[in-house]
Amino acid sequence: MLLMTFRAVCNCTTSAVQMPDVANVLRFRPRVTSASLSREDVDLRADEFLASELYDSESEVDRTLGVDGDVLTAVCKRLGDVLNEDPRAVGEKAPRLYRYLCAKSSRDFFFDERDFFLGESALLAAGASRLLGKKEETELWLDRADANFRHTVSPSPQLARVAYIRLTLRYQTRRHEEVLELLPSVTLTFEKLGMENDEAKCRFLEAMSLKELGRVEESSTKLERLAFSRRERVDQSLYGMALVNLGDLRSEKGCFDSALAAYKEAMPLLQAANRHYALADLKVMVGGTLRKMGQLTQALGAYRDAVQDHVNLGMATRVAYLRILFAEVLLEAGKVREAEWEILAALPTIDQEQMVPEGFAAAALLRESVRQRNPDSNALFELREYLQASN
Amino acid sequence: MEISDEFEATPSAESVFENEVQTVFQETLGLIHIALVSHYQLTEQEATELEKDLFVWFRRFCYRPGASVRENRPYLLVACCQFAREYQKYVVGTGVRASDDRLKSILDREPADVAHDFSRSLQLYDFRRSDA
Repeated sequence: MLLMTFRAVCNCTTSAVQMPDVANVLRFRPRVTSASLSREDVDLRADEFLASELYDSESEVDRTLGVDGDVLTAVCKRLGDVLNEDPRAVGEKAPRLYRYLCAKSSRDFFFDERDFFLGESALLAAGASRLLGKKEETELWLDRADANFRHTVSPSPQLARVAYIRLTLRYQTRRHEEVLELLPSVTLTFEKLGMENDEAKCRFLEAMSLKELGRVEESSTKLERLAFSRRERVDQSLYGMALVNLGDLRSEKGCFDSALAAYKEAMPLLQAANRHYALADLKVMVGGTLRKMGQLTQALGAYRDAVQDHVNLGMATRVAYLRILFAEVLLEAGKVREAEWEILAALPTIDQEQMVPEGFAAAALLRESVRQRNPDSNALFELREYLQASN
Repeated sequence: MEISDEFEATPSAESVFENEVQTVFQETLGLIHIALVSHYQLTEQEATELEKDLFVWFRRFCYRPGASVRENRPYLLVACCQFAREYQKYVVGTGVRASDDRLKSILDREPADVAHDFSRSLQLYDFRRSDA
């Protein structure tokens, strides 16, 4: 009985937190353990949990399920599995899970599990926010993940994952030199811990940073090494993404056939993994290569599909950038009216999200030229350059 | 038509993993019990209950990324010492049990340090195991 009461009142993490005034908290309900749940029960409850609307401590779901570590593990795994496939869904559910857990007391969990699950849900929310282009939200979620993981028994793997997402944010803000400086330490952590998938993601990020810095040969070498030394425990779509970017570099060098071959090899890997975002990006790359090859009609088709795919994925800022890029190709093909439509569809997001404060003049010029039904190709080019730099 | 009476020969990766968790926990259980009973002075019954909780936690802990099941043993000891310490502090704090110098001394130490000492025993165990 004493042990049950203790279980109910203790807050057991590795931190040096002092016990509360225990004399005041003797009457807590005993904690329900999860030892008796079957795999089927866990799956069923995870589904119920994810399908529930509220996730709050007053809801019917909570009264039925209580807090169960196995169910929470399954919930986090499910969200993690679909993160790249459907960041919008994870972006809705992970923050709700985090708030649900916040409302729970440490005494409902085993040892460090409250901190761990809070960290996991925050990390999932950060991953989703990043994919959806919400930089400030991502940073806040990363801070939350960091703050919770620090109190777990073995924080290194999780903190390394937080550090990795921080580096991807630096990549997105074009601080590539900083990425290259800080990445080896994170890569080494993953290597030491045997986290092959995370290690491969670091190697990909390194190659991408080199690509952005114009260090084309180094980038190509690293992408080739990654794409052609496949390991079973690594998400195969990562190899697909390496091939897509390798194709892009080959295309830049004018090696169009080998570029298209790389794209072709990448496609089934991305399709098998349901990597809609990467597949949408692949269409952008294919469009770019076809444009360079002078096949404007096919290029327009690829860009049109890519825009639609990004719209479906809910990636507003990326859509705005792609519309401007698409408009540029439309003008090149003499399709002025269609180009105007794309520009008019993109400008509100560019303004609203303050995507290019430094390109304000170009955006204003472009808006005026479209109003006069004569799109300014120079302003369009300039705005696309600004957007490309920040995308 | 002949119906094969052979069962699936290869166990799933998950069941292999679960077995490994169980094996490693069983191998460490002796040390855990000594830590709980001899060092943190829990009763046999209290120790048994805590060991059940530790297994539930350890099983889930092993699903976290970052280390093999065997490499996770030191963390199991940290959790064991942490929980035993907080429990005894609670029991002594409520006046249910009196403390002595030996108990006070171990409760004053950081659980991670105590666990570190126990980890040396694990290393010795591993050495003997590989030697055998």
